[in-house]
Amino acid sequence: MVDVSRVQKELTECNRDREVSGVSIALHDGANISHLTGTIAGPADSPYEGGTFTIDIRLPGGYPFEPPKMQFITKVWHPNISSQNGAICLDILKDQWSPALTLKTALLSLQALLSCPAPDDPQDAVVAQQYLRDYPTFAATARYWTEAFAKCSSTGMEEKVQKLVEMGFPEELVRSTLKSVDGDENMALEKLCSG
Amino acid sequence: MGHSDAASPAPAPAARDARKKRGNRTAAKLKQSKLETRRGQWLNNSGQGNDGKDAKVAATPTGARSNAGSPILASPHPPLPRRRVDSRSRGSDPEDREEAGATGLEIGGSDLDSPMHSPGSDKSQGSGCGAQRKGFSGNGHGPSPSSGSSVWSSSRSVSDAEEDTGCPEDENEVLDDWEAAADALYDDDSHCHHSSVPTTPPPAPTTAPPANAAGPETIRSKARAWAPDDKFRPQSLPSISKQASFPASIGNSWAGMGMTAAQQGILSLPVSCPICYEDLDPTDSSFLPCPCGFHLCLFCHKRILEADGRCPGCRKQYNTASAVEEGGGGAKETTVGTGRQMANIAPVRLFRSCSMGPRY
Repeated sequence: MVDVSRVQKELTECNRDREVSGVSIALHDGANISHLTGTIAGPADSPYEGGTFTIDIRLPGGYPFEPPKMQFITKVWHPNISSQNGAICLDILKDQWSPALTLKTALLSLQALLSCPAPDDPQDAVVAQQYLRDYPTFAATARYWTEAFAKCSSTGMEEKVQKLVEMGFPEELVRSTLKSVDGDENMALEKLCSG
Repeated sequence: MGHSDAASPAPAPAARDARKKRGNRTAAKLKQSKLETRRGQWLNNSGQGNDGKDAKVAATPTGARSNAGSPILASPHPPLPRRRVDSRSRGSDPEDREEAGATGLEIGGSDLDSPMHSPGSDKSQGSGCGAQRKGFSGNGHGPSPSSGSSVWSSSRSVSDAEEDTGCPEDENEVLDDWEAAADALYDDDSHCHHSSVPTTPPPAPTTAPPANAAGPETIRSKARAWAPDDKFRPQSLPSISKQASFPASIGNSWAGMGMTAAQQGILSLPVSCPICYEDLDPTDSSFLPCPCGFHLCLFCHKRILEADGRCPGCRKQYNTASAVEEGGGGAKETTVGTGRQMANIAPVRLFRSCSMGPRY
């Protein structure tokens, strides 16, 4: 059984300084506390700068004594992250996990991993090869992937959702409405107001 | 005026223990020399103005009065250095005021030394002097802000309003933190183990001396001091503010004593288990299963021992001996380890209670 009180405290703790840390966690679906979604900002001075990366987090029953299971939802071009399914190769998410670590520190570690790839211990061999042999191409590809998959849609969406939620609409409804109008804020507002 | 100020609070502090008095005496000397520095600067200032003569006339009674007001000051303090201050600062060229001010300060410093060595040549006073000199350098740019109340009143009676730029705000701040600094002085005393019998008559301390003693510390920790008009200035819970300001102010000058580390060790003690986020009870707080010092509650520790048995703080195996033996021996090992850790912590705690002692 997941330690619910710890997870809840972690969530509040992590989201308290989300602007500063660039890391935030939210429940994936309202009910299940063992299924979360983390977001990290792409670190500056890296090909991932400016992107917002979403990570699927699943807490095993033994959490925090067992590591959380994390996987990138956003597609990333990185030697230690599978370009196919977003699987992450990071020691602290495996044998080097410690119960003293938190979801926030784990996400921060992912952020650090983005800025410092370890191509000698790769998850995605193709990307690692490219990183080692042809760094400029790697950087260009990573930047392109960031541009294509980690920008606008998610960041803009979140901002729009927040804006509309602040106006007083329920978040679920805002999300579904925004989806239905393809993310057009004004259209969504119109639709929400009309009922 | 200065006399009555000094005399009235005398009985109460006289009842305190001898160490406090000694601290007071040291501080009283400091006060005296600071007063002189002030007078020197003031005389210099007024000497540059038109009525330097009036100043001279006025200055003499001040000295007499302040001496009368606090009898301690009179005996250990030879009258000679005072004259030296006066004559030099008066005789100095009125055109370069700054230089003269600096001279006055220097003399103040050496002035301090002379009475220090004369009475008992005791160690604590010597070191107190070191601290006081720091105070001097801190105050070097203006009339010393930390003159005590009796001196303050007497000097105020002589000097005109503009001279009193030693803003009362500063004075208040100094008064605020005097306890902390007095403790520092006391601490030093106790370290030196000095047992010299006071050669001077028992001081009839004024309220002022501790304020003076606070000089060096307060100036450094000014940012933390309570605002003088703060209504929440904790009369009822002083120890909290002190604990907050004490390590920082002490850490600078007493780093050699390992006090900073000790204080930090105490302050950084977690209040909740970093694993389950539940509050640590006293048993948990004193439970140190790993030499790395990682605190956790007994429940989480047990849970970890059931699994891979590595310390969350350093990832090392908790107890290799117990892992091998798997039994009562292992448990014993743990308690021994804990005991050792406690032994490491114990002096730290004692130290703290010592330093806090005189407050209560």
